[in-house]
Amino acid sequence: MEVLLQSLVNGILLGGLYAVIGLGMSLIFGIMGLINLAHGDLIIVSTYISMVVALKYSGNIFIALLITVLVMIVVGFFCQSVLINRVVDKGAEPPLLITFGLSVILQNVLQLIFGADAKSIPTKLAAANVITTPWFSISAIYLIDFVVSILVILSLHFIIMKTYFGRAIRATSGDVMASELVGLNTKRVYAVTMALAMITASIAGLLVGMTFTYYPTTGTEYLIIAFGVVVIGGMGSLVGTLLGGIILGLAQILGSYFFGMAYQLFFGYVVLLVILTFRPQGLFANTK
Amino acid sequence: MALGGRVALVRWIVLAVIVVLLITLPLWATQGMVNVSLLVMLYMAVGEMWNLLAGYAGLVSLGQQIFIGLGGYSLAVFTEVYHLNFLLAILIGGVVSGVFALVISQPIFKMKGIYFAIGTWIVAEALALYFLNWSFVRYGLGFNIRTTYNMTTDYLYFISLVVGLGSVLLVYLIMRTRGGLALMAMRDNELAAEVMGIGLYKTKLMIFLVSAFVTGLAGGVLYLNISFIQPTAAFSIQWTVAAVVIVIIGGIGTMEGPIVGAVIYVVLQQYLYDFPGFSMIILGVIAISIILVAPRGIMGTLHEKFGWEVLSARRNPRGMKAVAGSD
Repeated sequence: MEVLLQSLVNGILLGGLYAVIGLGMSLIFGIMGLINLAHGDLIIVSTYISMVVALKYSGNIFIALLITVLVMIVVGFFCQSVLINRVVDKGAEPPLLITFGLSVILQNVLQLIFGADAKSIPTKLAAANVITTPWFSISAIYLIDFVVSILVILSLHFIIMKTYFGRAIRATSGDVMASELVGLNTKRVYAVTMALAMITASIAGLLVGMTFTYYPTTGTEYLIIAFGVVVIGGMGSLVGTLLGGIILGLAQILGSYFFGMAYQLFFGYVVLLVILTFRPQGLFANTK
Repeated sequence: MALGGRVALVRWIVLAVIVVLLITLPLWATQGMVNVSLLVMLYMAVGEMWNLLAGYAGLVSLGQQIFIGLGGYSLAVFTEVYHLNFLLAILIGGVVSGVFALVISQPIFKMKGIYFAIGTWIVAEALALYFLNWSFVRYGLGFNIRTTYNMTTDYLYFISLVVGLGSVLLVYLIMRTRGGLALMAMRDNELAAEVMGIGLYKTKLMIFLVSAFVTGLAGGVLYLNISFIQPTAAFSIQWTVAAVVIVIIGGIGTMEGPIVGAVIYVVLQQYLYDFPGFSMIILGVIAISIILVAPRGIMGTLHEKFGWEVLSARRNPRGMKAVAGSD
């Protein structure tokens, strides 16, 4: 019973991290109907950048995050305005395949620079528990993952609902032509949205690096997690993204509780395939 | 018409010469060239099959590694555990791939477009995890495929040649039938095609099964060449990456595209063998540039600019042009 309770707690906390992993993809999917196949790799790229900076400044996570965010904003803006924007109105396949190509390039560049070995961002938080009860305990890093994720989701909600730029995003995702008629540069909106998605990816990358080990090809795993979050939560809905993350986290942790550790990821994939088959529009798509 | 007939004759002669050269290759080429050609043949088959799905049927699959893995594992299991003849094992691999494709087709065809792409990828990732935890296939340890240890390169080459040329011939034949015409109609306008009475589901299913079967065969022969199989490599997305890169560079939706693409892919990989990763970065950059600059790839662009076409999906391409030019 204690183990089950512990699994539930871990699943929910992990779900927060999953939500922030999927956030950037949900944003991009919502506005241009594109699945960014390089999303997982971009997260891992920011993990590596954070690691390098953190090591350089003797483990200062905040400097690491700041520099990573700045670099990733530039990367996101570049990828969107130079590459994806040029084919975004030429059907579904070209942009999809461009991001696929980006993913291949990023993985191999990481492998060239850092080698294929597993790495991690050193932090004292990984082993510490903040809350210990007779029934379950909460590890510091999992709690931080969860709290930061909630903060990121709330800030994004604020940006999208309350700012001019948020209105531009909502207008563009609603009707591209009408938005252009009222004077919006939609391609610029795409590029800035991608930069925004990369900010969430940088935060996700840092959290991932502090929580788990990673190597150049881990991006694939996070791509599928991100996609799972988007599919389960239904696109466009930020609350859905959080719920999607928690459901996926619970599915994995409970899968590992009932069927063994080895099946943790497997079970997450199966749940995802079942949802894709029976409710491809997402579990919470109607809440919009 | 007389000119058209003569051009057709020249084309058939050139094709015949190429086939004869390929069959006699081990007699006059170096061992290294045979090795490279062997790989070209296999990657060509994998590329042709992805092209059949993405270029003709509009099904962008990112899960071709499912069938490479199943083909490779069938070869390993049926030769190592059941001691069957390896050719039979490779055939079984094709059949297993086809049957698996049939099983997943029901749910996977409910996913459209981008969902289909990711769905196939997730199936592959799930399979890799399942194989890693399956005692029957020895978990992550994998198999040494010993049946190939005393096989000569020339012998492997001939098997690959059959698979490679066979796949091109198969695509050619499919495109020349009613099914091929239906396929192109479907790709260009699904709704119009369906209204004209084309069974969308049946046509797509047939293509999906054919592609799975041949990719499974190619997977078997690829692993006959590699001679060691292990789940993460067998079900790795890298197989689909290869197929996508080959088809994009060569020309999506053309029959010659995957041939040209496979030559470029394999030669570049071999040339930069000592710098793993570099070749993939270069290929990735080329592929992205081609999508941006010449989305129809090398062969598609040649066809567009110069009317160059060796293997046409149309029975009378010149006739088509005459009609198009008359108005």
